[in-house]
Amino acid sequence: MRIHKDWSIPAITAGFVAVLISYSGPLAIFFQAAQSAEISSAMMTSWVWAISIGAAVSGIFLSLWLKVPVVTAWSAPGTALLVTLFPGLSLNEAVGAYLTAAMIIFVIGITGSFDRIIQMIPPGIASAMMAGILFQFGVGIFISLESVPALAIGMIIAYLLFKRLTPRYSLVLLLVVGIALAILLEGASLDGVAIQLAEPQFIRPEWTWNATLSLAIPLVLVSLTGQFLPGMAILRTSGYTTSAKPIVTVASLTSFFTAFFGGITTVIAAITAAICTSKEAHEDPDKRYVAGVANGVFYLVGGTFAGTIVALFTSLPGEFVAVLAGLALIGAITSNISAFAAEKSHLEASVITFIATASGVSFLGLGSAFWGVIAGALAYNVLHRRFRPTPQG
Amino acid sequence: MKHIEKGVSLKYAPRDFLRDLNVDNASTGLVAGILGLSVGVVHISAGTAAGLDSSFIMIWVISYLMINGLFGLFMPAYYRLPLPMANSIPGALMFAAVIPVIGLEAALGASLIAGAITLIAGLTGVMGIVMRLIPMPIVMGMVGGMLLSFGLNMVEPLESAIVPASIMILAFFISSRLFRKIPPLVVAMLAGILYLIATGVDLSGIAATIRFPEFIVPEFTLGAFLTYGLPLAIILVGMETPAGVGLLKGMGYKEVPANGITAVGGLGTMVSSFFNLHSTCIAAPMTGICASPEAGTHDKRWVAAVIAGAIFVVAAPFYGYVVSLLEATPRYFIAIIAGLALMRVITSSMAIAFAGKKHEIGALFAFLIAASGIQILGIGATFWALVLGVVVSAIFETKDFEFIFTREIAKKSG
Repeated sequence: MRIHKDWSIPAITAGFVAVLISYSGPLAIFFQAAQSAEISSAMMTSWVWAISIGAAVSGIFLSLWLKVPVVTAWSAPGTALLVTLFPGLSLNEAVGAYLTAAMIIFVIGITGSFDRIIQMIPPGIASAMMAGILFQFGVGIFISLESVPALAIGMIIAYLLFKRLTPRYSLVLLLVVGIALAILLEGASLDGVAIQLAEPQFIRPEWTWNATLSLAIPLVLVSLTGQFLPGMAILRTSGYTTSAKPIVTVASLTSFFTAFFGGITTVIAAITAAICTSKEAHEDPDKRYVAGVANGVFYLVGGTFAGTIVALFTSLPGEFVAVLAGLALIGAITSNISAFAAEKSHLEASVITFIATASGVSFLGLGSAFWGVIAGALAYNVLHRRFRPTPQG
Repeated sequence: MKHIEKGVSLKYAPRDFLRDLNVDNASTGLVAGILGLSVGVVHISAGTAAGLDSSFIMIWVISYLMINGLFGLFMPAYYRLPLPMANSIPGALMFAAVIPVIGLEAALGASLIAGAITLIAGLTGVMGIVMRLIPMPIVMGMVGGMLLSFGLNMVEPLESAIVPASIMILAFFISSRLFRKIPPLVVAMLAGILYLIATGVDLSGIAATIRFPEFIVPEFTLGAFLTYGLPLAIILVGMETPAGVGLLKGMGYKEVPANGITAVGGLGTMVSSFFNLHSTCIAAPMTGICASPEAGTHDKRWVAAVIAGAIFVVAAPFYGYVVSLLEATPRYFIAIIAGLALMRVITSSMAIAFAGKKHEIGALFAFLIAASGIQILGIGATFWALVLGVVVSAIFETKDFEFIFTREIAKKSG
């Protein structure tokens, strides 16, 4: 194995930082989903175990095989989608939808049609749906400002300072400061946090039309446009010419297995990928794959002690998780809103998609993300041909 | 007075009104007027919640329509811009809440001082400078966030009243594609009314009453000024005026009389305080409707604001009647019409805020805060949206602020 010669401390550090960031920010969104589903801590532990193991196995395998720093993670916009669907959706239905989504992504991967499908989706509509899903999290920061002003203001100031001073570590530092503030101001107690091994729990999948339309299809869409697309772009801008085919295929195969334990779709990372693919991981691009492997190994550790992570999050107030999740998503919300606002050719259809998705309105049992895409696609076809820009241009 | 922008003139206003009147601005003016009338329901619920006498609440709403409506006739006619006037909603909520604590006369005295502060902000030209210094993307982020709730409220009835809601929304979009002559808003309204008639709306509870505003002498106390007057002044100068001015700029009006709007709002607030009313200022959501592309060409949109003002003045004495009419129409009706009227304003404010790649994070904070609708220290979200948006942008996007320096240099060299 080449890996004994190629390993380096910066690469391993990069892998570690990437995992730490995922657990600090995006995991907070997953916790909000778990809270809205009103599940037990044991079940939540199983979910965290499943997403961590999925990311670990696929990341280690792909990085070693392709000799490219492939950082995988769980679909962050997918977890945001979950928050709007629970508790109307049952766990069994959710798992069924995860399996359907994994199948669809697998077919897209194995047939090599990823690039073609990405081109078919109007870019504004995809970003608008994503922005609509994430919108509630952004607003959540300021809603918490009314109920727990001191904690929220402290966290916002900490976020702004850290983001300005050390953008890379800002989420990790925010987590630390946030926990300290929650203990000091809100009287949270970490007594219940102890080292414990995770026990995965099997969930019997149940397939329904409802879950397919409200969860599986939007999940595929946000995973493709929100994770695979930016993730592949990050790899390419770092100079790796890897094709999307093996990555999409392996990630979806992994998702298929972790789904049974509550793990949402495994995808290529977007938020943390750049840490492992950049020069800071290693001077030599051919040796950065070690960072991808290290990232996977730290996910294995995280998955094994998932119970401890769950205990940490559940002992903190709900508003803390809401503010943390919202701040972690600020960048994503900004880039998605900017992306659809800049897409002048079908702006009206995008705004309709955004409003319908952000409204959180569900009817006929289907979630707002689904209706957002339907409304957007309809408006795109009805309006975009006669679209005239608003007078000021 | 040198900072107050000059308008066109009032002399030819009636003649020009008839010349510029068309079906686009008439229909948007009607929608803006109805939206403004429906706001009276906020006063009623806030007043009732604060335990105020129902007879006083009625006088309060009637003054709101009558006084704000008169100023709303004057402003658009003088400036030939869509400048509808109304009162401050956060101000109304505060007013209702403080009356039981500090007394009506003292609250009105505090309003009078707040109006004087606002007038001074306009006369000295402070407002114009502030509006030039706040970057446009942040202002438009705030405007977009504030108006977004109208968009979301339009979608919400789809859950409970899917049939009429989808009829109205579809009528709007289909007619905007098929008929160029008839404004889609009118089609949507007619579709909604037809549906209501077909399903049988209950109009039996409607009763007519006639009342007029009543004169009252305000009183001055320091406590009232600190608890209510100062926040109200901040609301009027920092929140209501920037929202209205920003909207007009966003809709493509180059010369917006920021100082004039502020000064007249201040003067109007001072007048209001003698008639049981807490404020007069530019009405942002109504401005959005009157200044929207739905109101026809730019130079004729002022007519819409005049119509909205006229509806206020005419409806004021009969507000008891209006209330029972509003109660008879289902809630979704006004929500959908207002949402449709503001669709394109929301679209273009988001485009201005986020498509320029400048002040993006500041604009996002402004957008999210305004959309969250939070109130801190009794001051509404749009004020905090501007303040935090500018602070955040100054921290992260320092170089985007270069426009301030380049403008100063341009001014000196020019």
